[in-house]
Amino acid sequence: MKSPGLRAYAIGYLIFLYAPILLLPVFAFNDSKVIAFPLSGFTTGWFVEMWSDAQLFNALKNSMIISMSTSVLATTFGIFAARATTRFSFPAKGGLIGLIMLPLVLPEMIVAMSLLVVLLAVGVPLSIFTVILGHVLICTPFAVAILSSAFQSLDKSLEEAAYDLGETPLSTFRLIILPLVMPGIISSLLICFTISLDEFIISYFLAGADTVLSAYIYGQFRFPARVPAMLALGTILVLVSITLLTIAEYFRRRGIAKTGGKDTGGFL
Amino acid sequence: MTTTKPTMIEFRDVHKYYGDYHALRGITASIRAGEFFSLLGPSGCGKTTLLRTIAGFEGISSGAVLLDGKDMSNVPANKRPTNMVFQSYAIFPHLSVEENVGFGLRRDSRSAADKAKAVAEALEMVGLKGYGKRAAHALSGGQRQRVALARALILKPKVLLLDEPLSALDKKMREQMQVELIRLQRQVGITFVLVTHDQEEALVMSDRIAVMFEGEIAQLADPETLYRRPHSRKVADFIGTMNFLPAKILSEAANVVEVEAPGFGRFALDAGQCMGAATGQGASVGFRPETLTILFEGQQPTDRESMATVEEVVYYGDMTYYDVRLDGTEAPVRISMRNVFGRPVLDIKTRTRVAWSPGALVLFR
Ligand SMILES: Nc1ncnc2c1ncn2[C@@H]1O[C@H](COP(=O)(O)OP(=O)(O)OP(=O)(O)O)[C@@H](O)[C@H]1O
Ligand SMILES: [Mg+2]
Repeated sequence: MKSPGLRAYAIGYLIFLYAPILLLPVFAFNDSKVIAFPLSGFTTGWFVEMWSDAQLFNALKNSMIISMSTSVLATTFGIFAARATTRFSFPAKGGLIGLIMLPLVLPEMIVAMSLLVVLLAVGVPLSIFTVILGHVLICTPFAVAILSSAFQSLDKSLEEAAYDLGETPLSTFRLIILPLVMPGIISSLLICFTISLDEFIISYFLAGADTVLSAYIYGQFRFPARVPAMLALGTILVLVSITLLTIAEYFRRRGIAKTGGKDTGGFL
Repeated sequence: MTTTKPTMIEFRDVHKYYGDYHALRGITASIRAGEFFSLLGPSGCGKTTLLRTIAGFEGISSGAVLLDGKDMSNVPANKRPTNMVFQSYAIFPHLSVEENVGFGLRRDSRSAADKAKAVAEALEMVGLKGYGKRAAHALSGGQRQRVALARALILKPKVLLLDEPLSALDKKMREQMQVELIRLQRQVGITFVLVTHDQEEALVMSDRIAVMFEGEIAQLADPETLYRRPHSRKVADFIGTMNFLPAKILSEAANVVEVEAPGFGRFALDAGQCMGAATGQGASVGFRPETLTILFEGQQPTDRESMATVEEVVYYGDMTYYDVRLDGTEAPVRISMRNVFGRPVLDIKTRTRVAWSPGALVLFR
């Protein structure tokens, strides 16, 4: 940060990044249907309106089911894949990993379209379950990436020591490996949850008659009168995300302190 | 000596391949019960691999490993009567010291109080009394080492395996732990098998040592035999310093070999000093630096005497190393002399007499 130009650039960048998020609560409490300055007065009415929106709650419920199932499933697959690739060597390992990681760089549109075509051809009715299917597909690479680094940093002799002291491979996994990769598992659950909650294209394509939160919010923006209530919802979501991230970071730091490892940054 | 002790570990023509790589090339050896045994060799010679075949972490390609008379080929690592101290110690970082030490007792049917007592005893044995509640990851290197020892010994294994357990410690701590390991081994009477690439450590600690090169045991003997009567130049070079001079074999009888070497002249060696099968070419005699003595004025040799020129002097306080060239030889040899108060250290280029004895020589054919 030596040059004043760079400093101005950095400040401008941060404003661009965070100012819109800060505006969310400002207009959520503003007593006007028009999203513009000057502000016209304080109200909690938009929260009340949002709260009494039955459709919104339905979309929220669907999204929660999708995100939670996705994060648990993707993380579970991630654990298996990370364990397999860090401990064992098998033929075509590199290619297999490549295939698992591919959705990371594949345009979501293509994933969504091809899934839609296949599901329709096979005759699977579209619902939140087909959304979960699509989300697991795109979240698993993230889970594998996060968990691989957690498994990789595990000293192999820890497992051997437990085995040497009479434990079975299964109890070794439960007593030694699982507790030590737990911070990675929590990170993975959280990231997959967030990705799934945010996701729009697959949710929009594969949900059929069911509505999910992202698609519902997008739909509501067509009606200017509904926008402030959506901002109220956004405000709550921001608070929930901050809380979740804080909890995750707390567990990660505690995990590091407990095992005496070096803090290598995590994702926060 | 301990020759009457029964065999605890037996290797029968053990081979191990990693893919195409032949890591163990026909290991046949036995380790006796209650022995402090070391596997010594340069990096990559297969020491760790051999140790891990005892623990059961490494399967073997052919041959057999027997533990206390039983073939171990179908016994998995968690069912073998062995425990291991890992090079990295492998202390479970999320558990306390006493949870680490008591880890192996989880499957034990004893009461919680008995187990706690066993843990306390094990901690006391390694000098960590009162450390039970500490977080294991917050300990120093030497303390982790002790936790690893206590954790392995609490199960009273028949064999304790140690893979370079001291290599991560600083010099002073290492020397202290060497002494403690020897004491501990005498106290518990368990067979210890130690892997090390430090020849000094092996000589200090072991009852017997197997020197390994490239997947084979080059020599298996007690430390003194290994030092005084190495079987090959390679072993001699690996353990301590040895000087070599070219030699000519004049005659060989059943028990004496007549040899001529520049600098030493003619002398006779008995069969025990002659290593390797006669090849008729490229023989050499070897000797340790301390077996030659520089004779100062008025001193008489106890056996034989040669003339030499001092070429290099390295003063070490208690010792002086002289590189001298014996008359009639091309390369200098090293002599180590203990310094005596009041006796001068020789200068470079000094002519001096050197005392030696045929009994301290080894012939490599
Ligand atoms: N899992 C493995 N796969 C392939 N090669 C291996 C494996 N483990 C060991 N090797 C090879 O076998 C040889 C012997 O290895 P080992 O670990 O036994 O050596 P070491 O004598 O213990 O050496 P160091 O002193 O470096 O620990 C080495 O050349 C090593 O590269
Ligand atoms: Mg090794």
